[in-house]
Amino acid sequence: MTAPLVEVEDLSVAFDLPDGRIEAVRGVSFTLGRERLGIVGESGSGKSQTGRALLGLTARNGTVSAKRLAFDGIDLLRASERERRALRGSRMTMVMQDPRYSLNPVMTVEQQIVEAYRAHRRASRAEARGAALAMLQSVRIDQPERVMALYPHELSGGMGQRVMIAMMLITDPELLVADEPTSALDVTVRGEVLRILDALVAERGMGLILISHDLELVASFCDRVLVMYAGRIVEELRADALHDAKHPYTRGLIGCLPRLDRDSHPLPVLDRDPAWAL
Amino acid sequence: MAAASPLRLWLTTSEPRSRMQARLGGLYQGFRRLARNPTAVVGLAVVVLLVLVAAFAPLLATHSPTAGGDLRTERLLPPGPVFWLGTDDQARDIYSRIIYGSRLTLTVVVLVTVIATPIGLAIGTISGYFGGWIDRVLMRITDIFLAFPRLVLALAFVAALGPGIENAIIAIAITAWPPYARLARAETLTIRNSDFIHAVRLQGGSSTRILLKHVVPLCLSSVTVRVTLDMAGIILTAAGLGFLGLGAQPPTPEWGTMIAQGRRFLIDQWWVAAMPGIAIFVVSLGFNLLGDGLRDVLDPRSVR
Amino acid sequence: MAEPLLTIDDLRVTFGLGRLHVAAVEGVSLRLGEGESLGLVGESGSGKSTVLRAITGLAPVAGGTIRLAGEPVRLPRGMDFYRTVQMVFQDPFASLHPRHTVDQILAEPLAIHRVADAEARIVAALAEVGLGPSYRFRYPHQLSGGQRQRVAIARALVLRPRLVLLDEPTSALDASVQAEILNLLETLRREFGLSYLLVSHDLAVVAHLCERLVVMRRGRVVEETTAEALRRGTVGEAYTRAMLTASKGFSREAGTGTG
Repeated sequence: MTAPLVEVEDLSVAFDLPDGRIEAVRGVSFTLGRERLGIVGESGSGKSQTGRALLGLTARNGTVSAKRLAFDGIDLLRASERERRALRGSRMTMVMQDPRYSLNPVMTVEQQIVEAYRAHRRASRAEARGAALAMLQSVRIDQPERVMALYPHELSGGMGQRVMIAMMLITDPELLVADEPTSALDVTVRGEVLRILDALVAERGMGLILISHDLELVASFCDRVLVMYAGRIVEELRADALHDAKHPYTRGLIGCLPRLDRDSHPLPVLDRDPAWAL
Repeated sequence: MAAASPLRLWLTTSEPRSRMQARLGGLYQGFRRLARNPTAVVGLAVVVLLVLVAAFAPLLATHSPTAGGDLRTERLLPPGPVFWLGTDDQARDIYSRIIYGSRLTLTVVVLVTVIATPIGLAIGTISGYFGGWIDRVLMRITDIFLAFPRLVLALAFVAALGPGIENAIIAIAITAWPPYARLARAETLTIRNSDFIHAVRLQGGSSTRILLKHVVPLCLSSVTVRVTLDMAGIILTAAGLGFLGLGAQPPTPEWGTMIAQGRRFLIDQWWVAAMPGIAIFVVSLGFNLLGDGLRDVLDPRSVR
Repeated sequence: MAEPLLTIDDLRVTFGLGRLHVAAVEGVSLRLGEGESLGLVGESGSGKSTVLRAITGLAPVAGGTIRLAGEPVRLPRGMDFYRTVQMVFQDPFASLHPRHTVDQILAEPLAIHRVADAEARIVAALAEVGLGPSYRFRYPHQLSGGQRQRVAIARALVLRPRLVLLDEPTSALDASVQAEILNLLETLRREFGLSYLLVSHDLAVVAHLCERLVVMRRGRVVEETTAEALRRGTVGEAYTRAMLTASKGFSREAGTGTG
């Protein structure tokens, strides 16, 4: 049996703020193979900080500690900043929520994808351009030549996110962390972007961590789901067994959504038990 | 400051019980942020010291600031036990003159602030809020004032109105407001389209009300920072006008004028010019440090 | 039959001139009866929020009429209008003045309309939205997102309006907080006989709060239907159906054949 792609054991992330110390992530452990893992939680649950810590993108005032934090057997806690930067972008990468903020506004799509490619590969400009075109085609952009010449503000939300995915996947990474990749998109565009992501992950045998607040979405997309609350994993579920959730928080989260197939007034609300956060 | 002092708890509570408590609590939080910045505390101390010295000048001064002593024996004496910072060519005690000079400096600072800040705020917020031709007209006027070098425009005003500290103050105030107007306009442009301003408009709030109660208070913090940082420049301009003989007239103990008079003895009796020079330096630096500290406390972007 | 509370006929809103000319709303008509609640659904760029802004006078009306209880609204809107129509904004972080306490925020509309018993009204408004008196003198940054939205709702209701415009009131909130706010909106509507015009991209939220809904796309009405029909899945237009399918979560099968 081969080693898992990602091993996280007892991960903690804490931030020092003027008003005191905030523990965003507290003792999170999981492993990831070449599969789709979802991390679900509400704002402040630590789900994004978990993903950021894995990539080494924790803000400066934060401290990351863990018993083990490894990617493909490489101990990330011992790796130098340089080694981590080399890993990030080539072997592990991240797609964020809003393409408008994660794309450089003064560079064309072509410049950005080509730069992303050449930053990690020795390649001529022409080769890089060919790779960029192929990549844009694989995220189902109809006229890649035309889109290559556009600036980010000329792209629609769904198009921007597809460009973002193309840019992040062009180096053929083994791990993709997608942090709310479709929250800024319209619901009809959302499905399309997710299907593209799904196909690419399956084709390339990548590991995917999908971070989202949307339990239903994560459950319908991933193989396994981790539910986080107040910095901890409160429950781990198989995605198809979502409705057998045991933890009252998970059950509350499922129950409190208004649904089209069920008309309940008033909606059940979540009674937060302080014991969950202990 | 004990950790559990009841006053402190009262100030820092997250559930204030009255308007007064909420306001004092806010002030206390601001003060604590300022106190965490050591250079700002130094700046604040200098400014407070300036105010105290100006207020208690008669008690602090050892001699008369204007009447000279014996011209034969007490002229141009170096710093010593009787005349702490020496005497000038009129046999006047430099220490006492600097003490009294702080009153003039403070007057300049206060009056310029009182005149220039409201003008700048009014023009900037009106311009930014209404936009259109009002904005264009007001901003071109601002541009015109911005295009003149401050000292030269102040010189022209003093030349037209006659030398004197009052005219110097008017001249400085007239040249000081354009940057505040620009700043207030820029802030207003971002505030104008925010939802909380829309909400007031939907409650039927008039433009005057929105400007005075919502826009101006939000612009005030950044303008305050800017004014504080500008104080050093204003004090220097006042001193410069004094130095050129266009500000305060002798025998008024004004720091710039004092340097001008000491210029003739710069080589042999350095203290005559250096002492008021040090005073200007210390006070200007104090305002700059305070301004930097205030920026951290008041900058809207630092407020979560 | 009585006049509907709100009648909009052939509303058109355009921004910009010449080459930059954009028609945000093109001929939208809708009716909202007293005590009724109507949803405006659409994706970004559908013009749904612009309709709300046109009603309040924040967006320029290029054509059509807006009538409130039979009376055409005037420009500028009169004080009566603001006492009848209020709005709750999407982002509770942007819709509250950052330097004002909850008390000041709620006192503002009362002062503008010279309401006599302001003190009692502020306390009552806080109680109505489920916030205790301890919240009265807090600043927005001391409140959570849900608490802020409650303050924004209290501010909208403090003048006792008949029509409340809700612009994505829960889309910036966590799911569990969204449930609390939706329940609160429902209770308040029953208690005060309010009419809601709710703008949202979320079909489930709209179906939960409204009896009728209007689906908009690119500035036009695509379909007018009921929450009942939506729940049964008997919608007429393909676009509505696409939204309905998409809102049910991700499905791998839907991807085959497109591309």
